[in-house]
Amino acid sequence: MEIFRGALYGFQVALEPINLLYCFVGVFIGTLVGVLPGLGPAAAIALLLPSTYAASPVAAIIMLAGIYYGAMYGGSTTSILVNIPGEAASVVTCLDGHAMARQGRAGAALGIAAFGSFIAGTLSVVVLTFLAPFLARVTLSFGPPEYFALMVLGLTLLTYFARESMVKALMMAAVGLLCGTVGQDTISGRFRFAFGIRTLEDGLGLIPVIMGLFGVSEVLLNLERREETKEIFAPPTRGLLPTRDDWRSSAMPILRGSALGFFLGILPGAGAIIASFASYAVEKRASKHPERFGTGAIEGVAGPEAANNAAAGGAFIPLLTLGIPANAVMAILLGALMIHGLQPGPLLVKQAPDVFWGIITSMYIGNAMLLVLNLPLIPLWARLLRVPYTIMFPFILLFCLIGAYSVGNNVGDGIVMWGFGIVGYLLKKFDYEGAPLILAMVIGPMMEEALRQSLILSTGSFAVFATRPISAGFLLASALLLLLPLVRRSIRISDM
Amino acid sequence: MSRDLVSGVFWLAVAIFAAVQGLALKLGSLHHPGPGFFPFWGGVVLGLLSVVLIVGSFRRGVVGSRLRPESSKSLVVIGALLAYLLLLESLGFVAVTFLFLLLLFRLERRSWTFSAVSAGAGAFASYVMFQLWLKTQLPTGPFGF
Repeated sequence: MEIFRGALYGFQVALEPINLLYCFVGVFIGTLVGVLPGLGPAAAIALLLPSTYAASPVAAIIMLAGIYYGAMYGGSTTSILVNIPGEAASVVTCLDGHAMARQGRAGAALGIAAFGSFIAGTLSVVVLTFLAPFLARVTLSFGPPEYFALMVLGLTLLTYFARESMVKALMMAAVGLLCGTVGQDTISGRFRFAFGIRTLEDGLGLIPVIMGLFGVSEVLLNLERREETKEIFAPPTRGLLPTRDDWRSSAMPILRGSALGFFLGILPGAGAIIASFASYAVEKRASKHPERFGTGAIEGVAGPEAANNAAAGGAFIPLLTLGIPANAVMAILLGALMIHGLQPGPLLVKQAPDVFWGIITSMYIGNAMLLVLNLPLIPLWARLLRVPYTIMFPFILLFCLIGAYSVGNNVGDGIVMWGFGIVGYLLKKFDYEGAPLILAMVIGPMMEEALRQSLILSTGSFAVFATRPISAGFLLASALLLLLPLVRRSIRISDM
Repeated sequence: MSRDLVSGVFWLAVAIFAAVQGLALKLGSLHHPGPGFFPFWGGVVLGLLSVVLIVGSFRRGVVGSRLRPESSKSLVVIGALLAYLLLLESLGFVAVTFLFLLLLFRLERRSWTFSAVSAGAGAFASYVMFQLWLKTQLPTGPFGF
C-alpha cells in the first residue's frame, strides 16, 4: 500500500497551484515545440532549463517533463496537416495521417491521435507508478560493478537500435565517452583535454553541447533544404471526436502501441522514434488489409501515436530508478535534477519523495491537460505553421545563443555550442547519429567512476564483473547484442 | 573518396590523439587506474572502429549523396553565430542581436525595411523577455543596454 500512499502524496504535490501552473506551461510549450518543425524537445528543454533555476526542484522538473511528453502530442498535428513531421517521433504519422487529411478526414486523424496519445500516456504512467518504486528497491543493492555492467548494456542497446550502421553508432559512443572525460578528473584532480582553457576545465557543458548538436545543426541543415511550398490543410472545426467505427479499428492498435512503446521507451536508445516505427510495422502485419496502410488507415495513426507517448513515460523508469538516462531528453532532466541538488537513482524515492512522486503524478494531470488543450488549439497551431521558416530560424538561433550564454554567463559555453553545431551538421552529412554521442557523454563520467571503483574494490581484477551474477548477466547480454549482427551477416553470406 | 573513408580517417586521428593524451596522463595500474586510463582505452576502441569503417569503405566503394553544401547560407550562418559570440560582451546584447537578426533576414532576401523593423522588434522583445522578465544577466554594451 506504500505505492498508494506515495501516489496520494504525489497528487498533493502536483496539485499545488504553482506546480499546476508549471505543468501547464510545460505541456503548452511542449505542444508548441512538437508542432514546430525544426525544433525538437531536447533542444527546447536545454533552452528552458536555465529559466527554471529560480523555481523549486519539483516545479522545474514537472515543467521540463511536460515539454517532453507535450511534444509527442504536438508532433502529430503537423504530420497530419502539413505532411512534415513536427517532431522526429511523428515521422510515421505522416504516412496515414496526411493521407486521411487528403480524404477530408483530418478531424478523425487529429482526434484519434490525441485520444490515442492520452490513453497511452496515462497507461504508461500507471505502469510507471507501480514499477518505479519496485525497481528502485531492487537497484538499491547495485554496487559499482553492477552499475558499470548496466551502463555497458545501455550503451550497447543504444548502438543496437541505431538506424544507420552499428559501427558508426559505436564510434559515436566512443567519441561521447571521450567528450565526457574533458575537464577535471574527479578521482585524481588532474585536468584532461582542457589545454588551459577555462571553459574546458569545467568540462563540456551538457546544455551547450545539446543545443549545438540538436538545435544549431538542425537549422543549418534546414537552410540547405529548398523551402517547399507547404500545403496546409485547413484545420477542421468539427468531427474531431472519433466515431464508433474509428474506435473499433483503433482500440487494439492503441493498446498494442502502448505496451510496445512503454517497453521500448525503457531501453536506452530505442525511445519514441523507434517505438512509433515498430508500432506501425506491427499494425501493418496484424491488419487484415495491410494494403490500406499508407492510403489513410486510422490504425496507422492510432498505433504509432500511442507508442511514442507510452515511450515518453517508459523513458522515466531508468532515470528515476537508476539515475541513468535512456535518451537525450532524459540526459538533460538528469542534469536538471543534479543542478537542483538531487541525486537521481534508487535513493531518490527516499531522499526526495516529493520530487519522485510529484513528477509521476504530474504526468496524469499533464496528459489530461493536453487532451483538453490540444483539440481546441489546433486552429492556432495551423496558423502558426504558416509562418515561414525564413522568419523563424533567426529566432531559433538567437534563443540557442542566449540559452548557451546564460548557463554560466560566459561566452565560452556559446563557443562550445557553436563548435558542436558544426560537428552536428557534419555528422548528419556523413551519416552519423548524434544521440549515442550525447548519452555516452553523460554516462561516461559515471561509467568511468564505476569502473575505477570496481577495480579498486577488486584490487585490480576484472573477474569482479564475471563473478557477480547481475553484472555478469548484463555483460553477457551486451556481448550477445554486439555479436548478433555479425552472426546474422555470416548466415546471410553463407546463404548466397 | 567515399564519405566513410574521409570520416574514418578523421576519427582515427582523433583516436590517436586521445590515446596519446591518455598515455601522457598516466594509465595507472589496474589496482589504481589513473586519469589517463579511460581516455587511452576510449581512444583505442575508437581507433579500432575507425579502422573497421575505413576497411569497409574500400569494399563498398563510393556511395551516398553530395557533400558540398547546397548553398553558402550555412557558412554565413556559422560565421554570424561566431561573430555574435565574439562581439557580445563588447557591443552589448541589444546591439549585437539587432545586427545578427538584420543579417539573417537580409540573407533570406527580405527587404531592408522589413529586416530592420523585425530585427529591431526582435532585439527589443528578447531584451524584455530575457533581461527584464526572466532576469537573465545579459551583457550590456557601451550604450548602457
